[in-house]
Amino acid sequence: MITDTQKSQVLQGTNPVDRVGKFVYRLLKAIPVWALWLLVIVWTIPAGSLFVNSFRTRDAQRSTGWWTSFTEGGWTFDNYINVFSSRQSGGLWQALINSFAIATPATIIPVAIAAMAAYAFAWIPFKGREWLFITIVALMALPNQVALLPLLQLFAGGAHWTIPNTGMVITLFPDLDLAGTTTAVWLTHTAFAMPFAIFLLHNYISSLPKELFEAARIDGADHFTIFWRLVVPLSVPALAAFTIFQFLWTWNDYLVALTMVGGNGASYPATINIASMAGEFGMKEHVLSAGAFVQAGVPLLVFFFLQRYFVRGLLAGSVKS
Amino acid sequence: MENLIDAFWGVTISIGVSALIFVGANRLFDFVVDRWFVFQAITGAIFGTIFSTLLIGNRLVRGSALLLLVLMVLSFSVLTAIPQLIEKHRTRIFAGLLSGTAVGVITASFLKESLNPQIQTKSFIFTLLISVLVYSLPSAIIKKFRFGGLLFFLAVGCLIGGWLLSEIGNGSKNSTYLLTVVPFALIGLALNVGPKRSLLERNHFQRRTRVGVFLGPALLFVALGLIIPLARTIYLSLHGLKGRKWAGLKNYGEILTNDSSIDLRDWSNIFTSRLFIIALILLAVGSVAGILLGKKRGQIIQASAASLTPSAIGVFLLIFAVLSTLRGTVINNLWWVIVVTSLSTGLGLLAAVLADRIRFESAAKSLIFLPMAISFVGAGIIWKFMYIARPPQKPQTGLLNAIWVGLGKLTPGSAGQFIGVALLLLATAGLVALSIFGIRRKQSGISIGSLFVSVPILWILYRLLGPGLGGVEEGARGLPIAKPILFVQEGPFNNVWLMVVLIWIQTGFAMVILSAAIKAVPGDLIEAARVDGANDRQVFFHVTLPTITPTISVIVTALIVLVMKVFDIVRVMTNGNFGTQVIANEMWQKTFTEFNLGLGSALATVLFLAVVPAMALNVRRMQRSAIQ
Repeated sequence: MITDTQKSQVLQGTNPVDRVGKFVYRLLKAIPVWALWLLVIVWTIPAGSLFVNSFRTRDAQRSTGWWTSFTEGGWTFDNYINVFSSRQSGGLWQALINSFAIATPATIIPVAIAAMAAYAFAWIPFKGREWLFITIVALMALPNQVALLPLLQLFAGGAHWTIPNTGMVITLFPDLDLAGTTTAVWLTHTAFAMPFAIFLLHNYISSLPKELFEAARIDGADHFTIFWRLVVPLSVPALAAFTIFQFLWTWNDYLVALTMVGGNGASYPATINIASMAGEFGMKEHVLSAGAFVQAGVPLLVFFFLQRYFVRGLLAGSVKS
Repeated sequence: MENLIDAFWGVTISIGVSALIFVGANRLFDFVVDRWFVFQAITGAIFGTIFSTLLIGNRLVRGSALLLLVLMVLSFSVLTAIPQLIEKHRTRIFAGLLSGTAVGVITASFLKESLNPQIQTKSFIFTLLISVLVYSLPSAIIKKFRFGGLLFFLAVGCLIGGWLLSEIGNGSKNSTYLLTVVPFALIGLALNVGPKRSLLERNHFQRRTRVGVFLGPALLFVALGLIIPLARTIYLSLHGLKGRKWAGLKNYGEILTNDSSIDLRDWSNIFTSRLFIIALILLAVGSVAGILLGKKRGQIIQASAASLTPSAIGVFLLIFAVLSTLRGTVINNLWWVIVVTSLSTGLGLLAAVLADRIRFESAAKSLIFLPMAISFVGAGIIWKFMYIARPPQKPQTGLLNAIWVGLGKLTPGSAGQFIGVALLLLATAGLVALSIFGIRRKQSGISIGSLFVSVPILWILYRLLGPGLGGVEEGARGLPIAKPILFVQEGPFNNVWLMVVLIWIQTGFAMVILSAAIKAVPGDLIEAARVDGANDRQVFFHVTLPTITPTISVIVTALIVLVMKVFDIVRVMTNGNFGTQVIANEMWQKTFTEFNLGLGSALATVLFLAVVPAMALNVRRMQRSAIQ
């Protein structure tokens, strides 16, 4: 048996051999922690280095690495001033406004529509509910690429059907002339968001207590009232989670905007703007670094202040609680 | 600013209209039970509006469009509502017939002269017969035959046979009257031949319509934005350049046989590549370890950390060797999927496990998770700066090349080299000590693992002391010249450097979800294992890992789907040049810059087919959780 005194001797390391052993043991035990912080540092460096670069003058950026600025200086705010002047960046200001014009409706409308659908799937029994829901969940994995061209054609010219043998053309969908507008972009986003939104909100809404709905039904409330007065207020966490997720997604989207806006520079969102700056890499790096941070500014703010909701959205989407 | 205001109005109006429609539809269906005829009147008005708008929009009418609209709304309301107020059955049928005829007459009088149809008697009668059959057969089988339904189908048949299958423009005005009055009269009859809807039926009807109101908008978007476009893309993929001429499977054949998508010519180089040899050695070591350990326990082969880890790394390197030798768009995509999915999940798991219950856990996790908030485009730009390679004479401004060239410039005997050698020796010594510790504790996993890790470290040590490490080559007069790595341009491993960007983003995603899953492992399970004397490692491999396996599979599926359609990073960093093309970027270029709609759609369809297994998996998972 080890006595308490012996134990405390070992722990306090009165014996010199024990002291070395304890040190090595502690060092070994700390390896996982050190490995983690190493990973954290490696993960932070890329974004951090661009952030540092964005405050360096054009000449400094082109001649030395960003790490030299800590000793040699060469700081400036000019890049951020330049990036907002339209000549240098091709109008990042306008692009940010476009990004808002796309992301706001592309977030609000899907949330509203999907919440209604999720409620119907969760609490209104009807024939074929099961397989309809499964179909929509399956569509979650559908690559957006398969819908881009037909949607662009729909926005650019409507849908028409020529009746065989007669040459008569029936308009199935009117030509709204939306190609090149931000409206086309957010309409597309709304459609693409639907499966995930319904899935996520259904997960939450279907887990609300059953007694609540029974009580409301007994009080004579119809579905409309129950949805509006009961489900919406109770689902605020899930709605917030999806809202944040969807806002980040649409703000950061490049593919849909590039396809739907096409050559119309006046409707470019910020992602296209900085991507085209990156296309001229070697000429405008100094503006590019600042531009990339301006574009990332909104999501980073959302990320730092609303991270909890964002994570909750991710979790609800992938792990059924 | 103008755009913002436009967008603001667009949003306000669309939200307002949607809300109005939603509330309006809900209120409308409230009438169903108590005031049936009001509901009927409003429905009629809506149908009248739609019908007349269709006529006007397609420029099929002459005269005042407004007058037509008003007349149509009124007559449709009358058609649907008035009979509902009549009690006597015969009178009701008569009223229906009369109002239907009125609608027909109004329509016909507004239609353009050039639309007068010439009835083709044969096809007309044929259509009528078919419409009767289409209704009667199924309804007879399910025993729900209704006379009204038959009349309705007859009316539809009348419209199709009379307007779509006859020669438009050659007929007389009389046939126009005939072909509008008869169908509408039939519809008027159809609505009223049956008994009036009972209260019970109306209640039932209201319940069903409510589903429509709640689901309608979502289903509309899903159908118009996903399902119909999907069908059209598949249709286009079977057609030629412009998407008009039938091409069969030609586009798919081109994808499969084209050298730029799958190029297997260099397959024999696989066996001589260094990666392949290392992979074979690792596999051999893994199986030897497995057999040796198995002998001790009386099994043929023992699956444990000591045998599984080298084998897993070996298989991974083997795949890597194969995919880096074979070239092409499809191969690249496969490479992306395998590397990014496995490394993101693996690193995410590592970070989640390491960060569990340490100090500043949330700060560490936030920093790893941060790239998730940055767009793919932004991430591409960030890494473009990391990968900058500048001419040898100039200082390197990209961090990675600066380190690489800096390592090469370490002269023998310099302080830098000394520190490097000392650190590496220390690490080796530590690993050897760990391995001895493992042997003494009879934990073969630890000893073999640490020996494994020490092999590359020893190799780096050898390079550092001997032939030199890093980006330097011998130039004129024996002076060293910097030799930076062209991360973005130099194939085939530039693909890997692009993958790093996505791994950088997605590791945080995997970590966050796995971290939550680890925290959700029931505490008493771990407690019980500990009471039984399990150490940290055993708890992880025998309790935590099995519990979070479903979560890992969810992440892997999600990542496969995401990586399969990687686009932004490739487009921003190389635009598919230097042998880094992937399917999504190829699809975009073919469709939207070369306007080869057929081939582009075929590529999109290939992407779709590639995720079908993931879809099936999602569905199965859903069904299983629904049963529970």
